[in-house]
Amino acid sequence: MHADLVGLGAALLLAGLVARGARRVGLPSVPCYMLVGILLGPGTPGPVLIENPDDLALLASLGLVLLLFHLGVEFPLDQVVGGGRRLFLAAACYIGLNITAGLLFGFALGWGAAEALVVAGALGISSSAIATKLLIELRRLANAETPVILGIIVIEDLFLAFYLALLSPVLSDSDTAGELVRDIAVSFGFLVLLFAVARWGARAVGALVGSREDELLVVVTIGLVVLVAGLAEDVGVSDAIGALMIGLVISRTRFRERVEKMVLPLRDVLATVFFVAFGLTIDVGDLGGVAVPAVIAVCLTVLTNVSAGIVGARLFGFNQRGAANIGLTVLARGEFSLILATLAIAAGLDARIGPFVALYVLLLAVIAPLLASGSRFLARVMPDRLLRSNWSYVREETISTSCTHLDQIKVTDTEAQACEACRVLGDDWVQLRLCTSCGHVGCCDDSPHQHSRRHAAEARHPVIQSAEPGEDWRFCFVDDTLVRAPMGSARRAKGSGSASGPGPGPGSG
Amino acid sequence: MGQGVHVVELPGVGTRYDVDLGSAEDRVSVVVRSGGTRDLYVFTKGSADPTAVLELSEEQARKLAAVLSATFYEG
Repeated sequence: MHADLVGLGAALLLAGLVARGARRVGLPSVPCYMLVGILLGPGTPGPVLIENPDDLALLASLGLVLLLFHLGVEFPLDQVVGGGRRLFLAAACYIGLNITAGLLFGFALGWGAAEALVVAGALGISSSAIATKLLIELRRLANAETPVILGIIVIEDLFLAFYLALLSPVLSDSDTAGELVRDIAVSFGFLVLLFAVARWGARAVGALVGSREDELLVVVTIGLVVLVAGLAEDVGVSDAIGALMIGLVISRTRFRERVEKMVLPLRDVLATVFFVAFGLTIDVGDLGGVAVPAVIAVCLTVLTNVSAGIVGARLFGFNQRGAANIGLTVLARGEFSLILATLAIAAGLDARIGPFVALYVLLLAVIAPLLASGSRFLARVMPDRLLRSNWSYVREETISTSCTHLDQIKVTDTEAQACEACRVLGDDWVQLRLCTSCGHVGCCDDSPHQHSRRHAAEARHPVIQSAEPGEDWRFCFVDDTLVRAPMGSARRAKGSGSASGPGPGPGSG
Repeated sequence: MGQGVHVVELPGVGTRYDVDLGSAEDRVSVVVRSGGTRDLYVFTKGSADPTAVLELSEEQARKLAAVLSATFYEG
């Protein structure tokens, strides 16, 4: 048995050093690993570190498995479910736009139907790792649109599982449509089975892998993960889904945090091997032939992302800044595109897919951080009518509310001091609320009749404001949220205007 | 959380706490990442971009918190 330790070590060391240099100037690391693979591989003139990419096959597939396993383990299921329907809608728009555009582009390339599906996934699914790092580096964690961006990329990760489940039967060499349908059914059956294990069997799995000693926990866990990934591969589902799903299962056990922490360094090293190994298979001479499609694909990605950003911003009631940030932060492609390309190469699809995805990922690696950091320029030219026409402070607002009914606020002051409905009934009330759409004044939710809530439901007026002296908070019944006072200069001008109103007395107004 | 602290989940990153300082101009946001790192965002003068951002380790955050909450002082 002979292992090429020198080649592997040198490749890892170089990959790490190049990535370190790139990180200093704010470029992502994953494309760097691939670039080192391309430059040092047998397909490129110059020094060759690893003669035969197949030498790395086992380590690379372990890298792929751990990459997806870790994705499953750290998947914030509760946060996503708690994100609400609107988040899913935004993510569906984002994914739908990107995948559709990718699919159309894939068919336009004319490489074949299976190839088009791979291209759609490679173009459509962004790199969550790169986008998250970008948000931290650009100091945007406190922005209003950031939870939406993070929600979208996390839902995208989940979508990846379903996409892989759909793709692997298509890539396998089933001859008839009947076989294909059966393979897809097996694939989704496997998904459902593992979802069921994640839902009800987490305790049993926890008992299997659990140990007080870190060493034993990590050995048993990795063994289980690799076994499930291998079994998945054997039943015709890809190893990638098996790994992702067992990650979801482990994430429901009480060992989640320890496993997550211990697998991380292992994942980082082996995933790097995976990216380098992908680079090794690329012949630099092939890149020229796919340059035009890759450049078009990059333009298409920017276009669909900006459109999706505008749709998302409309859904959540964000301003231009939010729209531009949603559109331009989720641009980067990385690990998932490379995974799909690897699957395509393994399935023997059109050989141009490898170089095409490699070049596409490299181009976006440079362009995406630049566009994301310059998103304010896009925000400046984005016309108001694309977002919400009735908005008076769109441009200045920095923290958006999550209520989308601000444009229906018309009345903000009242002289009423009683709930008329209660007075007719002869009952008491606790506090008064003002309907900001029509000026109706009713009693609050702590009062016996809740006339304010009733009025909102009957008249379909969403937002109320406290009519108690000294209070100016608002609540939206539809979005079930406190309407936060937008911060910024426009609000202040307005606030001081209305604050000075009561001062001189009603007569002066 | 108490009044004036708005909690926002950041899927895949952690939790954000927006602290209302009672004026339209100033606010502080703290992001507690799931790894333990804290980011302190300070906004002043109503600016849309943070005036200062500090990335604190768990230990540093604890030190700062002790001083801020006045549990630590040298006699």
